Amino acid sequence: MKMDLMSGYKGVVGLVFGNENSSNEDRYVERLLDRINNGKLPDDRRNAITELQAVVSENKAFQLAFGAMGLPIMLGVLKEERHDVEMVRGALETLVSALTPINHAKVSGNEVQPDLMNTDLLSREEESIPLLLSLLEEDDFYVRYYTLQILTALLTNSRQRLQETILTIPRGITRLMDMLMDREVIRNEALLLLTHLTREAEEIQKIIVFEGAYDKIFSIIREEGNSDGGVVVQDCLELLNNLIRSNASNQVLLRETIGLDPLILILKLRASSYSFTQQKTINLLSALETIKLLLKGGSDADPGKDANKQKNKTALVQKKVLDILLILGVESQWVPVAVRCAALKCIGDLIVGDSKNLDLLASKVLGEEPQVEPALNSILRIILRSSSMQEFIAADYVFKNFCEKNADGQAMLASTLIPQPYSVNHSFHEEDVNMSFGSMLLHGLTLGENNGDLETCSRAASVLSHILKDNLPCKERVLRIEIEAPMQSLGAPEPLMHRMVKYLALASSMKSKDGKSNNTSGNSYVQAVILKLLVTWLADCHNAVHCFLDARPHLTYLLELVSNSSETVCIRGFAAVVLGECVIYNNSPDSGKDAFAIVDLISQKIGLSLYFLKFEEMHKSFVFANAESSLTHRSFSRSSAASMADIQDVDENDLSEKKNADHPILASILDSYFVSFVKRLEANIREQIVEVYSRPKTKVAVVPSEIEQKSGESDGEYIKRLKAFVENQHSEIQDLVLRNGTLAEDLAKTGSSFQSEQRVSGGVDRVQTETLRRDFQEASKRLETLKEEKAKIESEANMYQNLAGKMEADLLSLSDAYNSLEQSNLQLENEVKALRGGGLSTLPDVEAIKAEAREEAMKESEVELNDLLVCLGQEQSKVDKLSARLLELGEDVDQLLEGIGDEAGPAEGFEDEDDDE
Amino acid sequence: MSYAYLFKYIIIGDTGVGKSCLLLQFTDKRFQPVHDLTIGVEFGARMITIDNKPIKLQIWDTAGQESFRSITRSYYRGAAGALLVYDITRRETFNHLASWLEDARQHANANMTIMLIGNKCDLAHRRAVSTEEGEQFAKEHGLIFMEASAKTAQNVEEAFIKTAGTIYKKIQDGVFDVSNESYGIKVGYGGIPGPSGGRDGPSAAGGSCCS
Repeated sequence: MKMDLMSGYKGVVGLVFGNENSSNEDRYVERLLDRINNGKLPDDRRNAITELQAVVSENKAFQLAFGAMGLPIMLGVLKEERHDVEMVRGALETLVSALTPINHAKVSGNEVQPDLMNTDLLSREEESIPLLLSLLEEDDFYVRYYTLQILTALLTNSRQRLQETILTIPRGITRLMDMLMDREVIRNEALLLLTHLTREAEEIQKIIVFEGAYDKIFSIIREEGNSDGGVVVQDCLELLNNLIRSNASNQVLLRETIGLDPLILILKLRASSYSFTQQKTINLLSALETIKLLLKGGSDADPGKDANKQKNKTALVQKKVLDILLILGVESQWVPVAVRCAALKCIGDLIVGDSKNLDLLASKVLGEEPQVEPALNSILRIILRSSSMQEFIAADYVFKNFCEKNADGQAMLASTLIPQPYSVNHSFHEEDVNMSFGSMLLHGLTLGENNGDLETCSRAASVLSHILKDNLPCKERVLRIEIEAPMQSLGAPEPLMHRMVKYLALASSMKSKDGKSNNTSGNSYVQAVILKLLVTWLADCHNAVHCFLDARPHLTYLLELVSNSSETVCIRGFAAVVLGECVIYNNSPDSGKDAFAIVDLISQKIGLSLYFLKFEEMHKSFVFANAESSLTHRSFSRSSAASMADIQDVDENDLSEKKNADHPILASILDSYFVSFVKRLEANIREQIVEVYSRPKTKVAVVPSEIEQKSGESDGEYIKRLKAFVENQHSEIQDLVLRNGTLAEDLAKTGSSFQSEQRVSGGVDRVQTETLRRDFQEASKRLETLKEEKAKIESEANMYQNLAGKMEADLLSLSDAYNSLEQSNLQLENEVKALRGGGLSTLPDVEAIKAEAREEAMKESEVELNDLLVCLGQEQSKVDKLSARLLELGEDVDQLLEGIGDEAGPAEGFEDEDDDE
Repeated sequence: MSYAYLFKYIIIGDTGVGKSCLLLQFTDKRFQPVHDLTIGVEFGARMITIDNKPIKLQIWDTAGQESFRSITRSYYRGAAGALLVYDITRRETFNHLASWLEDARQHANANMTIMLIGNKCDLAHRRAVSTEEGEQFAKEHGLIFMEASAKTAQNVEEAFIKTAGTIYKKIQDGVFDVSNESYGIKVGYGGIPGPSGGRDGPSAAGGSCCS
């Protein structure tokens, strides 16, 4: 009742006053916590915890308030009141609520997110993790369930801290692994948790594998129906991928123990499975990711990386993975495009640099008799005909890798490039499986002729550039190919290369016709791809340069392209590279198109400094800067499995990210190999051009002897000869002056254009500044964390120092205590010794006692003597009195006393003596 | 790939005693004089035959450095066998055995078979721990003992196989509940099925082994 009132109240007040009433929530939560903490009646405490859970789960303000005060109390309940399952459940559920984001429509950037804050706080509680792990051993289902949810929440937000902590807890990971054997709900939670736990934590990955994760993962996948299974299969594969990503040790273990059969099984399509759920698509993509990770091998730091990678490849090929990939990527057109792309990429990874696998792919034929064709032809057809840009890129990747360091393969493909008569070429059916690779490629290359399909043409050009790359015989061979004009009447056949230049020009003209408003990037990649073909073709090939320069307009067009400001920096840069190749690979004897002539043309039409500037611009361009960065891992988020968004993403993601005028596809066309190739070329070009330019051919040879008048030469003839000589020299000086003028102009232009260029390149600079700034931020963040770590370590050191101090003090007092004990012990020992020594030391005592006794006795006898003397005195006076009386009575006293004297002689004598004295 | 049993081993002992080299010698039959420090834990595997049965050994080689102890401890519980290694030329590695043993007893399952290995026995001229001392220590603590050399391969094979033999015998004697994988033992496809399946072949073989 109260709770309802409260939340209702909050609902209204919160809406109206926003955060101003936060103290109300604080007070409310505080009161509930107080009841939980100090309550006497169990029922009341339980009610309080239920109430608390309810408000925390609904409202951010309560979450915040709870986080600030409640954690220690909840942990206290978990620790002290294990017997009370209901209380423990309540506490756990409250914690879950406090860590779960409450979805409000929008989260503004600066707003505090209580769930994040609470996870942070909880993860910092030292005892929280061991406590939670111990709760996993409880019998109550909900206790384990909530505990797993809490741990997952903690891992999501404070992963590293959790990972470190869990590693230090004995059997911590083991306990989590045991959850995989629990009932289904728990098992599924545990899968999620382990997926978070294993992210970028090599040691944890290994321990989990040690605990038998592979067995469990694959048995769950099998139970759930392999790729037809639900989201659990996806979770399993995600965990599997985390376990083997860059982890050679775990890859070995997978290979050696479980083997790759269960993985292959996931990728096998059942004959009837034409329909694909989104979940199945994601499951397959995840399994293909596993293949990709295996093909990638361990971490780069691992010295045995290549050997391990090779073993993975061999094992996969043994399991006929290529067939399965071909089915997924090439043969089954009903498979979603994202899966086809991923399968093609895997084929590319499988064959690259592996002669056996290259041959294997080359020998594969697809389809059923009699409709069979080589797999490579099928893949080429995908390149030429796919409507998906991503699929083209993926298939192109296969050819790129097929041709890499594979001269034989290139030769094999090039050998089929035999031009057909025009009529034949355009009448065949494209589906014809009997068509050779070469015919198909040439057909694609010249398709632009009829319908202006330059896109297909450029895709074919991309394949051709792979075939020509670093392979001089192939370049020469393809140079000889001549293409018939569309109509015989329009002229003689022309070389294929000229046709390609024509399409290049066509692409730029189409672009300028289209206007700048839209589709500016549409054909820019067409141009880039054709230019890439030319760059590849001309490299190291004198005949190719010769062929290119054969048509005079080519050079003019190229010069124009370099300085055409409406082209992208990339196009201008590539054009400049082609121009440079015309200089450095030029061995033409024809003075009209030798290296000197071309350098002169460059200097006149463009200006050398500006020309070189094109290279720099190109390097700064977005595409180039990006080409070298590797692709980062992206996983399918679990929630998005329901929507198709993520799969679309694979297609659209790259398109949306680019802010540059260059087409997104360039990023994949310009692989790092090509980029470094261009860079090497460029250095070469610079050197060569400066070399050529600084040493112009001299027309007039100055031979000293010729200036002298020859014998037999008349004065007139001599003068004439000298005049001609001077005239020649004059014209050469004119030439040089002209050249000088061009240079000066160039210099002046560059000086001024540098400024404007600077302004133009402001955007580029800004991009760079941005990256620099980001780098800086990252660095300073890292510094911050390092500082934190240092402080932590320092405080730890301090603590240990203190501890050591205390220990020392303890030791000191202990030793003191010991000393005193020892002393007393010594004393006791002495005493014992003394006792054992006998009377020796007791004698004086006895003597003393004796003396004492004697003294006492003497004292006593003296007293007695005194008494006696007194008595004697009294007796004497009695005797005297009696004697006197007797005398009075007339008695003879002496006579009377004589008798007495006999009886007590000595005493009388004594008395007498006394008396006498 | 099929095996009758799979045993999980760990190799423990001070840093630099040659744990990784022992593993490399056993799995790859080669010796690497300079070996990087093991970080965390490395893995190796090999198939052996005991009593005509294929047995798969999965071996986890742990880092000896103190800083990795909390990581390496995670491997104790699930292991059926442990090779505890010291270096006969470095006395201190022998002196630390007791603490390793204590660690193992605390974290491992009670039935784990421990083999004590005095490694580098090829370096006899630099010997600092006598064979008798090793034997004595093993006897006192109920371990199997061998001196071995990862460099010359002497006794390496034997050490791993003898450990496996001991575990195998323990299984025959019914010490383990082999259906519980947490003891580091797994029954393979070619192995003796669970308690229910008492088919002729395996049990007969078991008998012959024990005799």
